[in-house]
Amino acid sequence: MSNFSVGFRTTGNVQILDLRGELDAHTAAELEAAIQKCQREQEFRVLVNGSNLAYISSAGLGVFMAFIEEFRDRGGDIKIAALQPKVYNVFDLLGFPMLFDIEASEHEAIRKFDTVAR
Amino acid sequence: MISLASLRSSARSVLLGLAFATSVIVAFGFHVLAWTSGGMPDTLLRVLFHLVMLVGYGALWIVAVEHAERNRHGPARTFWALTLFALGATVASVLTLLVARPPAAPEGVDPELLLGFDLDSGTPIVLAAVFKMNALGLVKGIFAVVLLARLRLLVLVKRTRTSQRNWNLMLTMMAVSAIATAFTSAGSDTDRWQTVLLIAALVLMVVNSFRLSWIVSLSFRQKMTAAGLSLLLLLVLVAGLGVGADAVAAGAFAPGSHAYLEHFSYPLSSFFEQSILFGILYCSTTILSLLFHLPTTGDFQQRAGERAAMHSLAHQVGDVFDAARLHEAISRSPVDAGCAHAAWLTLHDEEATSLHPRPVHGHGVDVIRMEHVVDHDALYDQVAADRKPVVLEQAVADHRIKALPGDGIGSLVAAPLIARDRVLGVLFASKNVALGFERDEVETIALLAAQGALAIENSRLFKQQVERERLARELSIAREVQRRLLPQNLPDVPGVGLAAAWASAHEVGGDYYDFVRLDEHRLGLIVADVSGKGTSAAFYMAEMQGIFQSASRLAPSPTEFLTHANLALADSLERNVFITCIYGVLDTREETLVLGRAGHCPAASVHLAGGATFLRSGGMGLGLDRSDLFRRSLTESRIRLQPGDVFALYTDGVVESRNASQEEFGYDRLLAVLERNRHEDAHDIHDAVLKELSGFLGDKDYDDDMTLVVLKWHGITGSRPTTGRTGRKDRSGEVFSGAQSEPHALTATPTAPPR
Repeated sequence: MSNFSVGFRTTGNVQILDLRGELDAHTAAELEAAIQKCQREQEFRVLVNGSNLAYISSAGLGVFMAFIEEFRDRGGDIKIAALQPKVYNVFDLLGFPMLFDIEASEHEAIRKFDTVAR
Repeated sequence: MISLASLRSSARSVLLGLAFATSVIVAFGFHVLAWTSGGMPDTLLRVLFHLVMLVGYGALWIVAVEHAERNRHGPARTFWALTLFALGATVASVLTLLVARPPAAPEGVDPELLLGFDLDSGTPIVLAAVFKMNALGLVKGIFAVVLLARLRLLVLVKRTRTSQRNWNLMLTMMAVSAIATAFTSAGSDTDRWQTVLLIAALVLMVVNSFRLSWIVSLSFRQKMTAAGLSLLLLLVLVAGLGVGADAVAAGAFAPGSHAYLEHFSYPLSSFFEQSILFGILYCSTTILSLLFHLPTTGDFQQRAGERAAMHSLAHQVGDVFDAARLHEAISRSPVDAGCAHAAWLTLHDEEATSLHPRPVHGHGVDVIRMEHVVDHDALYDQVAADRKPVVLEQAVADHRIKALPGDGIGSLVAAPLIARDRVLGVLFASKNVALGFERDEVETIALLAAQGALAIENSRLFKQQVERERLARELSIAREVQRRLLPQNLPDVPGVGLAAAWASAHEVGGDYYDFVRLDEHRLGLIVADVSGKGTSAAFYMAEMQGIFQSASRLAPSPTEFLTHANLALADSLERNVFITCIYGVLDTREETLVLGRAGHCPAASVHLAGGATFLRSGGMGLGLDRSDLFRRSLTESRIRLQPGDVFALYTDGVVESRNASQEEFGYDRLLAVLERNRHEDAHDIHDAVLKELSGFLGDKDYDDDMTLVVLKWHGITGSRPTTGRTGRKDRSGEVFSGAQSEPHALTATPTAPPR
């Protein structure tokens, strides 16, 4: 039984993934599949909303690493927004804020996408 | 080495042989006595003679039966051997008679002189007659015994209690009627009782000669051979050896031989005649029966073929785990059973990734061609839906078959291979004529398919089991190897107390800790955590070990080391894998500890006087960035060591461990337990943390890789603090050795991989 899920939303030209539950070694494959779906559909502007993400493990973090380079090469990005403080701490410890655009809110992240687009 | 049993059986054979040899010698002596005395010996001697003969031939019978039982032949070979033996016996008789025989029997010459004994009393007149009598008696006696012993095996095929009893009764009756003639002198008429006994024996002979169960299991050719050979034996028996009173006429090749035998021993002669008679009877019934059975041979053979095919498959279930051989056996089975002209097998691959099974083997058919001729997928769909065989009576008319006349597909049966409620594949069987399959044949093919499914399932399960065991073995080896990558002994550094423990959630894990003596006063240490778990993590852990052991000596400063490590790992790490680590250099001369953190959980630091913090210097995980960004992200924590300072280096398994109510152990609890126990030595602090952790987890097992290293600075000799416990340094050896058992204590309870 998986206590992790990914919801898909689209705002403008940004694909939003709503993460819910716990992202660990066992559930990482689901996030991977979700991002692969974006990849297939040529949606390279992805925003990961972590407001309902309760936990993330190193394997979960690895998923972002696997795709970021290609998405940026294709002119898109994977941005992360609205993380809970505890989850943000994990990202922060690992030095992710230096690699990823991690925003406090979804709105902020979309604005960033738009800024680049213009 | 000769066993006692074989010794005993050979002793028995020798004894039986001796008994027979004695009877031969006694017989010779008896007749020599008759010749010298010029008349038959008195009654007592005659009784003795007959008794010795009875015992002798009884012994020969036992030997002959045992020999026949040990060397069983098929019917054809039995008849052939007996024919040869009968010919041999005839030739021997003729040769014996030719010896010392007058060139011609002139007119008016007393036949007594010709034969060499008195026709009334049977007394030999010349010595040559004695030899002739004994030689003929021996040859014919042995032949009679061998004939019966060999035929006995045929009579007793598929023996029942009745058949066995009838056989024994016949033998007894033959022997009794023979013995009853003991006191009849040669040539005289038989009396009434003898006739009754003889008739009884005859009736039993007829009964026994209808015991022909062995015939049904023969093939057509074997039946023909057996019929021919038994006819041959019949001819030799009738012409060569002859029977009865008109033996002079019957024994055309050896005239007079009968008279010699009769005068040698009347009972033996009678028994011989009866044996030959039984032989003739048995050969006659055999020939007739074989002729009647010939037409039904085909049907019977198919039954036998079905049985054999079934048996062969059943045998494979337990025996063959080689998939190719099994597929061959299954696709061959309908043909072997005589139910089809060709057969082939389609199977799902083991992972069942394909929607439809693919042909794997064909017998008497080219499966590649069949792929084009037969719509396997459509037939599979129907068979899988019906879960019973599909019969195409007129295959050419079916839309799923595109057979040409040359393909030999007149009718087709497709039977499902079902095991554990899954359809593994389909067994196809074809005949080259339309309407070729009878109902029982379809049933047989279905049965063969079911049996085949069982065999395949069995072999797959076995293979999986073997594979599982192999993996488990490999993993336990990997675990052992990984354990050796961890320090076997904690370094003994003056002024420093160390304790360490390591556990992995699976057989192998991605956590790593190690120490290296950089020089006399500097100790390098590392705690690292590969992202993810299990085997791949373990490989990177091993790589990290190599990097630590080599690079730390060349570039000991944390920034230098971590930059090197990041560079070294850049090529080998997968994109989604990274390694976090804390690397530190402890300098006992400078009394400093310099720490570099690459994305790892920050080290906890507790001062003796109180005050606990996490040392969170900057730095991202190894493998996250291949550019200069990594180096720029690094900052170092440089700590001036105060005696009593405690540092805890650990992996996220410690702080992220969750109890039953999903609560994390967390950083605060860790810091609190360290602070509470800061007066203890490294070993006790280490223990206290683990105890706190296991108390927090309760019954729950660790579900992550986990490492904990505790370092305590006692201060160099002479500047030891007055606070805290004394004599620590002297105890340090003890501390280390105590700490050595820790990894085992902790790793003794690896958790099962979460489902």
